[in-house]
Amino acid sequence: MSDIRDEQDAHEFRAEALSLWRITFGPLIWALHFVCSYGATALVCAKAGAEAVPVLRMGIGIGTLLALALIFWFGLQAWRQWDLRRDREWENDAGTGEDRHQFLGHAGFLLAAISFIGVVYVALPALFIGTCA
Amino acid sequence: MRLIPSVTLLRSTALLTGLSLLSACEGRQSVLNPAGRDAQDVLGLIWVMFGGAALLWFLLGAIFAYVTRVEPREMPRRWGEALIIGGGVIFPVILLGALLAYSLPMMAPQRAAEEGLKVHITAEQWWWRVAYELPDGRRIVSANELRLPVGRRTGLVLNAHKVIHAFWVPALGGKVDMIPGRETYLSFQPEEPGVYRGQCAEFCGASHALMAFETVVMTPEDYAAWLEAEAADAQKPASAEAYRGAEVFAREGCGACHTVRGTSAAGQVGPDLTHVGSRKSLGAGILQMTQDDLSRFVAHTEAIKPEVAMPSYDHLTLKDLRALAAYLKGLT
Repeated sequence: MSDIRDEQDAHEFRAEALSLWRITFGPLIWALHFVCSYGATALVCAKAGAEAVPVLRMGIGIGTLLALALIFWFGLQAWRQWDLRRDREWENDAGTGEDRHQFLGHAGFLLAAISFIGVVYVALPALFIGTCA
Repeated sequence: MRLIPSVTLLRSTALLTGLSLLSACEGRQSVLNPAGRDAQDVLGLIWVMFGGAALLWFLLGAIFAYVTRVEPREMPRRWGEALIIGGGVIFPVILLGALLAYSLPMMAPQRAAEEGLKVHITAEQWWWRVAYELPDGRRIVSANELRLPVGRRTGLVLNAHKVIHAFWVPALGGKVDMIPGRETYLSFQPEEPGVYRGQCAEFCGASHALMAFETVVMTPEDYAAWLEAEAADAQKPASAEAYRGAEVFAREGCGACHTVRGTSAAGQVGPDLTHVGSRKSLGAGILQMTQDDLSRFVAHTEAIKPEVAMPSYDHLTLKDLRALAAYLKGLT
């Protein structure tokens, strides 16, 4: 009897550990996108000529779309995990496994949303400024 | 009755805004009184940003007023969610994104390439080393004043000697840091002849607030004539007093720090004085270019400009000081 419970707990723990990791993915992609965009721009503007700028902007554009798609995907997973549409529970503050599970979904979803906005704002200069000046 | 405090607040805010607008009317050092294309762009941006901020502020205020005074009852869950997510997340994100998208394309034109003339400005403690680079590569050295032709874009290559400063002529354009060992660039296209005040805008030591300069915007013809005169050597003393002043200048060793082209004075530490008498101000925008102020500045340099490298020459007799001032005033 106790063996089964332990096994169930261990399984639940593994699942939650994974979603604890997953809520960091949105901000991590945002940070990575930020460093790559600014780093590449600094390198290209310092070392390469003006002819490399369109390639750089294209690269930032592709990187941005990739980052947004990934964040969207993680956000969607988190949204499903939060399960708001089914139970309309905004707060999951009970100390149960289900509430913990949904709370991590809630946090992951909000972090994905802010990361999505962050990536868009970081990419805007590359969209609107065509030179290194 | 409970609304009265906010009415008073509104009225005093309006009064304050009015006052700050009034004080800007003189306009020699004001972003609200643009005299060039770049400053016009900056002012346009200020109004758009102000409009965006005002829109957010009023809408938020209206929502607060609605839920606390007009309809202070519990509202359906869906409405509340729509208000918070729509008004608190989606609307600000879109508005801020739009403002960002509007402002970003303005950055590059503020640093557009020059049409002909380039001016190198190096910030010192606490004055400005200025060198006009002609299309043929020749450099004309001056100090503490910037002259620009109207209607043409002039490049400003900025640098600093020991600490960080910032270059700012609010009536002509944006503000850019001046960093030791690193060149920054800005360009101005003035549109109205006149004299505009610039000011160091980054704290750089004891006399930071006393580090200013005049920017004189001239018609292209006047500018060409001025540049030719500025390239020439210094004028010879024209009166007996000025002649005596030149002797004091040599005797006191002023030439160890200051250059007067055409004489033996070739120092590089302090401002070039070849045409100091033709400048609109003295001591980097803080005194008048008069004989009185010149002798005052030489005698009490450290009191007028705290911690400056130049010592006070208060051991000179009044007669010597007056003569020195007459000589400097005559260097037009």
